[in-house]
Amino acid sequence: MFSFVARRLAVAIPTLLILIVVSFVLMYAAPGGPFNSERPLPPAVLANIEAKYGLDQPFWKQIVNYVASVVTQFDFGPSFQYKDRSVNDVIAQGFPVTLTYGFWSFVVAVTIGVSLGVAAAIKHNTWLDYLAVGISIGAQVLPNFVMAPILLLIFTLWLGWLPGGGWNGGQWPYLIMPVIALSTSYMASIARITRSSMLEVLNANFIRTARAKGLPMRRVIWKHAMKPAMLPVLSYLGPAFVGMITGSVIIDVFFSTGGIGQFFVNSAFNRDYSVIMGITILVGALTIFFNLVVDILYAWIDPKIRY
Amino acid sequence: MPLLEIDNLRVSFTTADSDVNAVNGVSFGIDKGETLAIVGESGSGKSQTAFAIMGLLARNGHATGAARFDGQDLLSISKRDLNKIRSREIAMIFQDPMTSLNPYLRISDQMAEVLMLHKGMSKRDAINESAHMLDAVRIPDARARISMFPHEFSGGMRQRIMIAMALLCQPRLLIADEPTTALDVTVQAQIMQVLSDIRSNFGTAVILITHDLGVVAGFCDRTLVMYGGQIMEEGPTDNLFANPSHPYTSGLLRAVPRLDRDDAKLATIAGEPPDMSRLPAGCPFSPRCAQVLDNCRAERPLLETDGTRRRACHLPVHEVA
Repeated sequence: MFSFVARRLAVAIPTLLILIVVSFVLMYAAPGGPFNSERPLPPAVLANIEAKYGLDQPFWKQIVNYVASVVTQFDFGPSFQYKDRSVNDVIAQGFPVTLTYGFWSFVVAVTIGVSLGVAAAIKHNTWLDYLAVGISIGAQVLPNFVMAPILLLIFTLWLGWLPGGGWNGGQWPYLIMPVIALSTSYMASIARITRSSMLEVLNANFIRTARAKGLPMRRVIWKHAMKPAMLPVLSYLGPAFVGMITGSVIIDVFFSTGGIGQFFVNSAFNRDYSVIMGITILVGALTIFFNLVVDILYAWIDPKIRY
Repeated sequence: MPLLEIDNLRVSFTTADSDVNAVNGVSFGIDKGETLAIVGESGSGKSQTAFAIMGLLARNGHATGAARFDGQDLLSISKRDLNKIRSREIAMIFQDPMTSLNPYLRISDQMAEVLMLHKGMSKRDAINESAHMLDAVRIPDARARISMFPHEFSGGMRQRIMIAMALLCQPRLLIADEPTTALDVTVQAQIMQVLSDIRSNFGTAVILITHDLGVVAGFCDRTLVMYGGQIMEEGPTDNLFANPSHPYTSGLLRAVPRLDRDDAKLATIAGEPPDMSRLPAGCPFSPRCAQVLDNCRAERPLLETDGTRRRACHLPVHEVA
């Protein structure tokens, strides 16, 4: 197991490097720049500013400098847009926010999704099953950019129960709507995957053996069916968690929560090269990390997987 | 009083098209320590009979009649009470050892949980006891191998593990549903030897469900022949094999391949097994029977006994070829 993790990490490093280089090249190739505006700057001023950010240097020198500063100092450079802040500042401000509501969305989606899926499978073809399937299909067709305005309409405008936006250090009234909006469609997918895989497992011969032992159904489900039924769910959870982090774009726009999604969108509009790069690398690193976590959990659950 | 008495058992499955009647009024008993074979081809209802007794029918299955064990009707008692009988009094082993053990749990966990559940043992004691039982079914190096996972064992070993697991609580009845069908011939012999040993060591009654008549001949006191969800005939194994009193039984016996005769062609019973959702009105075997009489197709023969044997056939006994 240790050597597996070490090997996976060794592969992760070149993957990240490739990600950095490709993003950098794409950014460089895209037309326009951070200092283009409707009223062009005088050429002398533009040359000065570009020199300050190192944009006057040849391409290979820019990329080497960038990669060197990221790798050696973990420094993603200064923001091109916010004159007094570095990319590290932007991430330090936005990422904890995103991580907070992303984490809670994940917890909510997994808890409700798995419970709903298991309940539906156990009570297959009963009203409970139909209800659970109905809920998850309903939730599936409500992606976060639809959920968010609906929630705002109901809970802020009509009922006036919850604040319409802001973060306020992540107090729970400010958390509720972002978490619901972000988790709903993931919850639905998790419920559907859980239900179908649990149904399949419950038909397995080894479940019949467990029942023949005289184990009560609850024990059969928890001890014998849960692990195998969770495998397909698990492989969905890695990408889902990263999806929740990147899905924060919508959440930040609707609820003004101030997570990295907000900065990501703004930086793309403003050609804030360094911020785009910083957030792209962050999301890439998270993707690699969560896929690794999923693989390790897989090996832990399924004894036939040995690395 | 028999250990287990089945009375007019019927099993049907509700499907989208129609009801499938897998077992149609089966009655038999098994005594303490006795070995009973239930033989018949695929779809004859022999496995569903066993599943009904154990309460393991598929979700759309439904059993009526009675299965009396110790004065309790297994078909109507609560799940709680049934769970107290399962594995403790009546244990079952299955056809496919490759998929009947949970691939995600260690053998020690799967065996120990039986003893912890029924005998209230501590985990350590339960694992010790389980290792003893693995020794008894001749798993080499049982103490070390008990902590392995199922995929680290061969098919024959897994079936022996299943047997050991079934015997942990020393049940009074073991139902073996085609325990050797999925295994190599040499391994089959080992499994039958293990079953034979435990029968003499523990005095366990065994219901052996099989379509392998060779296995039956060497192992079972009494044999019950099923076709189309009904009993065709029943009797002491030696007697029944020497003098089959039903055309289906004699057909089955002729269809056993033999090495001691130089037959050019293997005998078969012409025709197909019946469609269980549309059984004939008369004897279910009548469409395939070589000695069919006029009233066979219209009138279902009753299961009649002469004291030692039972048969359901309109043809007089001495005329059965």
